[in-house]
Amino acid sequence: MQLAFRRLLGWGPSAAAEEAEERNWRRHKWVIEPSRMGFFARVEEVWRYRRILWFFAIQRVKDRYEGTTLGPFWLFARPLMPIAISTLVFGQLLNVPSENVPYFLFFLAGSSCWRIFERSMLWVTQSLEAAKGLIKKVYFPRIIAPIASVAPAITEFAILFTLLVLSCVVYWIKDGVFYLRLGVGMLAGVAAVLLTCFFALAVGLWTSVLQVRHKDVRYSIRYVSQFWNYATPVIYPMSKIPAKYHILMYLNPMAPLVEMYKWGMLGIGQFPAKELASGLVISAIVFAAGLVYFNRSEAASVDKL
Amino acid sequence: MDSLVVENLGKCYILPGTGQDKQTSTFRQRLQPWRGDGDESAREFWALRDVSFRLEPGTILGIIGANGAGKTTLLKILARVIMPTTGRVVGVGRVVSLLELGAGFDPDLPADENVVMNAAMLGIPKHEALRRLPDIFEFAGVERFEGTPVKHYSSGMYLRLAFSVAINMNPQILLADEILAVGDQAFQEKCLQRIAEAAATGLTVLFVSHDMEAIMRLCNRAMWINAGQIVKTGEPEAVVDEYQNAVWSQADASRSEKGRRANRFAEVVAIRLVSAAGRDIGGAPISEDVFVKTRLNILKTHCKVRCALDVNTRGHLLFRSTDTDVHRLGDPGVYEILAKIPANLLAESLYTVTVSCIMTRHDEPQEFPLVAYNALTFIAFSTEDAAAPIAGRLQKPGLIAPKLEWTVRAEEANAARV
Repeated sequence: MQLAFRRLLGWGPSAAAEEAEERNWRRHKWVIEPSRMGFFARVEEVWRYRRILWFFAIQRVKDRYEGTTLGPFWLFARPLMPIAISTLVFGQLLNVPSENVPYFLFFLAGSSCWRIFERSMLWVTQSLEAAKGLIKKVYFPRIIAPIASVAPAITEFAILFTLLVLSCVVYWIKDGVFYLRLGVGMLAGVAAVLLTCFFALAVGLWTSVLQVRHKDVRYSIRYVSQFWNYATPVIYPMSKIPAKYHILMYLNPMAPLVEMYKWGMLGIGQFPAKELASGLVISAIVFAAGLVYFNRSEAASVDKL
Repeated sequence: MDSLVVENLGKCYILPGTGQDKQTSTFRQRLQPWRGDGDESAREFWALRDVSFRLEPGTILGIIGANGAGKTTLLKILARVIMPTTGRVVGVGRVVSLLELGAGFDPDLPADENVVMNAAMLGIPKHEALRRLPDIFEFAGVERFEGTPVKHYSSGMYLRLAFSVAINMNPQILLADEILAVGDQAFQEKCLQRIAEAAATGLTVLFVSHDMEAIMRLCNRAMWINAGQIVKTGEPEAVVDEYQNAVWSQADASRSEKGRRANRFAEVVAIRLVSAAGRDIGGAPISEDVFVKTRLNILKTHCKVRCALDVNTRGHLLFRSTDTDVHRLGDPGVYEILAKIPANLLAESLYTVTVSCIMTRHDEPQEFPLVAYNALTFIAFSTEDAAAPIAGRLQKPGLIAPKLEWTVRAEEANAARV
């Protein structure tokens, strides 16, 4: 039924296309060699296996949010707690400047983007280990595991964004000012999230393979991400950074992304154009090199799983 | 066109060494797993070496060999779970693998979702997988448990589901490792039949099993692998025979029964029960002659040997039979000693055999014993129809059941009168 409906809308492959694909699978000539597959062969392969990518992605999202009794409560409570505490410490006690919006909103926006990065990076890092049972029994392009494990970032974003909107409404009632920026600018915020996922995947390609052989990676990643958090303008605005340290904002791709998210959603700060360009170049390099590294180490690391 | 071509396939593992050199391995080396650990004391181990063969569609290849011979490694490479070190494989079509008693199931997911997942891995869309669900569950006999996470399945159910999923995905190549090890007789039968049917329509099967009976029945080709290399490929009958003969000559020192199994002159290599045709058998058919075959590895020249056989059952020594001759042996080497247990002697019971040999040397007066206590345990079974009146009513179960010769005739005096 659902399928017929989808076909009626012209959404999803036609029966003929599926038949052609089935024939292709039956006649597909595959080669196993110690030498690694070329880049385009890889891409083609991931496409052939796209169904399992989709299945894993949905599964990872379900894993994350299914099975809790309090369900929706946790979705919001989990990110809210640390934000509330930080607001109290940095906003109230230390009076960190927050660019003319309540510190709570400032911090919520900044840490939303950061949280998406941090969590995605963790998920990607653990992805091979999590799919170990399957990886040792059946074949699918291994890179599907890390890619699929970024999927929950989308729901994470939905939750954090809802939280931000709700908080803005509360402040609207309280202060009479609606801080949320409505308009095209928000697309910049969405773009920031997508780029954050991309960067998390880029880093994760390295860490996921490394952690198979070097347990240190698994342990240290949380510490590293804490330091990284402080090196990123989450609890403080980018404008507070002394000029001589501003170079760090170019080297840390997360800095412009967090700033861009705040700019997009709340309309605060500057659009970090130059820093963003630098960050994107770095992400692209990390990602490309990560692909190569993953591809090379895959076989040797899977043997060790 | 061949459905599977394997050329010079090899897989090398690096066994961890003493670890001393690990300190000296550079950080750089450790971050590049494809170059190895830099641990110089590590040893290479070739689980598979120079394996080449080609299979046509419809071939059912039985793969036999001792544990650790490389059978599973071969299947794992073909399933792409591990990457080969050398060589090349070219295949056509969808490959479905049943490795180590299981398919790629996620234990936390219910059976139906696992089917969808497996289908997705093989490029089969979800609606198609759902359409095949009833067939799959029916064949596996787990219809009532389709919503149950597979971690709650019994091992038999798990295996049945795995096989059913595999065969219903319309593969062109099926890799089956020991699928018959679990599962009852009825399901095994169903599996073998289904494999044979599918092979008739062009499915290529690689079937690993230790069940020689199943290999000979199902396969149309067999391959014997030992120490990572192909020893022989060909007709199942011939390969199985040769394999079993060779198993003989392997010293199984791992069997550590009590007793002096070795002395200065000789060591017992193996003791087996064989049929008149020389084939290894696990049980003795009562109506046929069977042989207790002892392999002795003689270490010195000019030895003399005399053997005895103790047969025990139900805690009793049934008999000891000693060779009436002393045999002179020539050069060192492996000798076979056969003791025939004639047909129609044993009862339907479990027998245990102890083999003892007395060794002497022409210039030494001393005798050296060689005893393999309880070296062999086998069951004797009747091949006659159990429903026959003789077996049930007129035979009483004793320790032995010799078939006596019966004659009925008239007494001479009586005969004269007639």
